[in-house]
Amino acid sequence: MNAVAEPSSPAAPEAASERVIIRTVGMKKIYRRGDEITHALRGVDVEIYTGEFITVMGPSGSGKSTFFNMIGALDSPSQGRVFIDEVDVAQLTAEELAFLRCRKIGYIFQSYNLIQYMTALENVTTPMAFGGLNPDESRKRGMELLELVGLKDRWFHRPIEMSGGQQQRVAIARSLANAPSILLCDEPTANLDHKTGDEILAILQRLNKERGVTTICATHDHRMMNICDRLMWIRDGGIERIARRDEVEVELGHIE
Amino acid sequence: MKKIDVQNQPVLPPGRVFQIALTGVKYRLFRATVTVAVIVVAMAFLMNILTESLIKRSVAESVREQIEDMHRVDRWIARLSMARPPEEVLAQLAAEDPDPEDLRELAALGGLDAEALDALRPRAAEALRYLRFFADLNYGRRRVLVGPDESVRIFDRLQGEREWEQFSASLADMLTVRFPVSLDEFQAFLAEWPGLRETVETVRRGQSAAIAGIRESLGETPLVVALRDADGAFGDTLRAAGFALSPEAAAALAAEVGRLDYVLRVEASINNPGVRQEVAALRDVLPGDVTMQMIWTLLRNRERAEWFLEIMRENHLDPGTLTARELEDLAAHRAHARLLAAAERQTVDAGGGLMGIGMRMTWLAIVSMLVCAVGIANAMLMSVTERFREIATLKCLGALDGFIMAIFLIEAGLLGLVGGFGGALAGFLLAGGRMAVAFRALLFQAFPWGDVAIAGVISIAVGMVLAAVSAVYPSLRAARLAPMEAMRIE
Repeated sequence: MNAVAEPSSPAAPEAASERVIIRTVGMKKIYRRGDEITHALRGVDVEIYTGEFITVMGPSGSGKSTFFNMIGALDSPSQGRVFIDEVDVAQLTAEELAFLRCRKIGYIFQSYNLIQYMTALENVTTPMAFGGLNPDESRKRGMELLELVGLKDRWFHRPIEMSGGQQQRVAIARSLANAPSILLCDEPTANLDHKTGDEILAILQRLNKERGVTTICATHDHRMMNICDRLMWIRDGGIERIARRDEVEVELGHIE
Repeated sequence: MKKIDVQNQPVLPPGRVFQIALTGVKYRLFRATVTVAVIVVAMAFLMNILTESLIKRSVAESVREQIEDMHRVDRWIARLSMARPPEEVLAQLAAEDPDPEDLRELAALGGLDAEALDALRPRAAEALRYLRFFADLNYGRRRVLVGPDESVRIFDRLQGEREWEQFSASLADMLTVRFPVSLDEFQAFLAEWPGLRETVETVRRGQSAAIAGIRESLGETPLVVALRDADGAFGDTLRAAGFALSPEAAAALAAEVGRLDYVLRVEASINNPGVRQEVAALRDVLPGDVTMQMIWTLLRNRERAEWFLEIMRENHLDPGTLTARELEDLAAHRAHARLLAAAERQTVDAGGGLMGIGMRMTWLAIVSMLVCAVGIANAMLMSVTERFREIATLKCLGALDGFIMAIFLIEAGLLGLVGGFGGALAGFLLAGGRMAVAFRALLFQAFPWGDVAIAGVISIAVGMVLAAVSAVYPSLRAARLAPMEAMRIE
């Protein structure tokens, strides 16, 4: 139901500029640890469009993860604002934030972050429970999602009984539990081998194409370039460059 | 265009929260053994002192009468030996719920009518109160206030004007000593005192006269021997002299004296070398090591009792009309009396404080609870800290702060329940075992099942509440964090 009704047109995001889903204005983040002050983000202005697949690249410590947390409403900026679908995140109450995180945004982490004591199915159905779905319905939808990521047979396994790739696939199924509009992936393939990484990327690409889920990936993985619509480079807490894939491909082709 | 319409996240129904919390607890329970152990130890301590005190109180109540009966003969011998001291007469007069027999006895011995005596009762109570005040003072203070006098002589002394001056002046100097009533009231009492004193003395004189009369009628016969006839002619003599002695009490007294007589006969046999030799041979000890306790233990067996009577006769001792059966009963009675005496020593500290466990024990229990609370709080804090990542993840998935707190509180409560139950059981077994050794048969006639069950419920509830309360702060702290802050702390 949250899938975009009309087919998305990622190739021409500028044509869909009225369909901005995430917008940041002068977003800054400063971490203080004792006297030491770190400027993780130095004022970021960016617009992300509905239904696009955007890859955020940058070296370690560039502020990539911080950026990711801010637009995911997981942390609050020291300065500036974050709008998710034109709603200022800073103005939301704790309950409304919980609602947003539960229904509208799906998170995929580098370290999977599955709940250790729950089975694969329980991990997937927990956000549904938070959303108020009844247990029977949750189980049914949970199994559908596990089937989608190819883990239907392993629903009763706990995270420690699964490989990294399988855990990440459970995490993807979990992120889709409440059919979110936005999928935020923080280095989804970093801890996986090449082949498993490919599988994960295929799943992400399919979700983006078939369900029109706006996907934002922070990554080091260059394979991500092949499936995204736009690329964004972050360096030293600022946006270095944003470009459409076709532009970059031309350049890359030029370089290679 | 698809809108993101933000709403409030629904609150999960308690059943669902409990279900999710339970999944976590099942997974973690064995990892929380240290926390559970802390609760078990603290609750075992609480349950142990509660159970022991309850048992002591219950046993003390059940044996009070039996113990009184045990001292019956001694009491009568004391009573018939000399007049009671004045403060005892006052206490008898002032008793809140006096035995009518006692009052009648006082009246008869003092040659007073009962109504006049009744009128004196409030005054006697007052006198007792002052006596207690003076008795509670340490010697130095009392010396300054009322000189070397003690007990009712203090009232006599304070009749003097100079003595009264000294008393009131010294009392005013003693800032830490508070007299129970105003001095005017005390003075009013002192003015009445000679009258009361006269009554007490009349009663005592009556007692002395009655005792002298009885002594004279006995001639050379010892009191103990005379009391054997308490349910017969001697009882009548006592009643004629004015002592209160109901037929039942007389019968019990006579029986007790008879038993005492046999006891003396049997115990005299230990001085006989022949008997000693036989017992020593039987028990395989040296004759010098034979004790009376050893013999009484032997005699609890019918055959042994018969055997013992035989060797008494062989060694020219007279067991009187004692039969083996009576001897066996006597031995059983002795054993019971020993048990009662032990129970009397054990139960002196029963009563007062929380559930009758005494003030000191209450205080100990409170301190142990505090230590336990700190231990549990520490364990919970560690448990919460090591689970920051999990909390952050749950918050990313849309958990409300209340949910996070609820699962930690439920978990702590369940740990408290398990620990409290284990502790209650351990404490109960420990206390039960100790008390069974101390009281033996007496324990089972007077086991306070109801009270002990209540103590068990209290221990379990205290364990749960303690654990839940200790978990409030850490879980509140964890729940308040923004998801990414929680993940960063790790």
